[in-house]
Amino acid sequence: MKTRDRILETSLALFNAEGEAHTTTIDIANEMDISPGNLYYHFKGKDQIIAELFQQYELALGSTLTAPIEQPLSSEKGPVENNWYYLYVVMEEMYQYRFLYYNLDDILQRYPDIRRSFKRLMQLKRAAMFAICQTLLRRDIIAARDQQLLGLVDNMTLTLTFWFNYEQLLHDGRSPEVTIHQGVLQLLTMVAPYLGDKELSFYRDCESIYATLLQATG
Amino acid sequence: MSDEKSKVSDKASEIAKNIWLAGVGAYGKAVDEAQGRLERAMEPPKLFRDLVKAGSALEEDARSALEASAAAKSSVEQRINRVRENFHMQRPARIEDIAALQKKVDQLSRKVDKLSRALAEQGLSEKPAGQRRTATAKVTGRKATVKPSRKKGAPGGGKKA
Repeated sequence: MKTRDRILETSLALFNAEGEAHTTTIDIANEMDISPGNLYYHFKGKDQIIAELFQQYELALGSTLTAPIEQPLSSEKGPVENNWYYLYVVMEEMYQYRFLYYNLDDILQRYPDIRRSFKRLMQLKRAAMFAICQTLLRRDIIAARDQQLLGLVDNMTLTLTFWFNYEQLLHDGRSPEVTIHQGVLQLLTMVAPYLGDKELSFYRDCESIYATLLQATG
Repeated sequence: MSDEKSKVSDKASEIAKNIWLAGVGAYGKAVDEAQGRLERAMEPPKLFRDLVKAGSALEEDARSALEASAAAKSSVEQRINRVRENFHMQRPARIEDIAALQKKVDQLSRKVDKLSRALAEQGLSEKPAGQRRTATAKVTGRKATVKPSRKKGAPGGGKKA
């Protein structure tokens, strides 16, 4: 792996573990066993590293979020569950760059460019959630009126965006598995009142997996 | 599809479009802001260069996003599949699961029966049969013992011809 990529990877790991605000370029160089001068040769400071990490994130999450907008995740007769599994995919992707969410306001204030892109990503999140709900509506999986549906979409986007923040404040240091699974369960809890019996069984499975995970982690 | 329902989905897709457009609008506004700042702050030659630079960067972004989008689609599908497998491993077993499993076992054991019957027949007919048959029987026999559950048997390997 190239030094440049290694710097990005190490920075991401440190940001996620220690928080972006507490990590300096010296820490990153030390962690990698390279001289700060060597790091400076590749990146002119932490700002540039963060900007590049965010670009990676935007590209990855952006293309994931476009998928349900371009084409329904489940074809006319295909398994509806794909839409639920998709929520895991989105959350897993977000979890990889969770440092952004732990310190969101601060980062968005310091980096106006990231702020603009982040707003775009949130719009895209909303559009993706809406596309999913629309597919479910069209297939009679959920029953909701327009206004309800828009409220549901906004609630889902809200939870999706601030879940890691909330979860970290409430239960510090839970395993990624539990965090992500509970996040999806939370999203499904919002959809559940609109679901018929058949799809509710998926929700019940989700609940019992969560219970097992909690028991396993103690 | 009834009239009312198609009306609902028309309305829905209109709203989806609006949400989508709002996102694009925010993007357009971001570009406007960036340009405004450039125009205010810089003398013409630098402005021009910067605009060209910004423009080509945007174009590159757009192009790579387009290229990535096709790849991303399949990767989203793959990842959904991976999550599904994981989910099925973790969730409690249901009656349907057990029924499906039993059905699979039944199918497999029927296949094994067929295969072993075919083997036995071929073993019997090996001596009187001509050269060609013996050759096929050998091949089939080997395959059948190695992978009794595989559907793709050699000709005469127990699958209906």
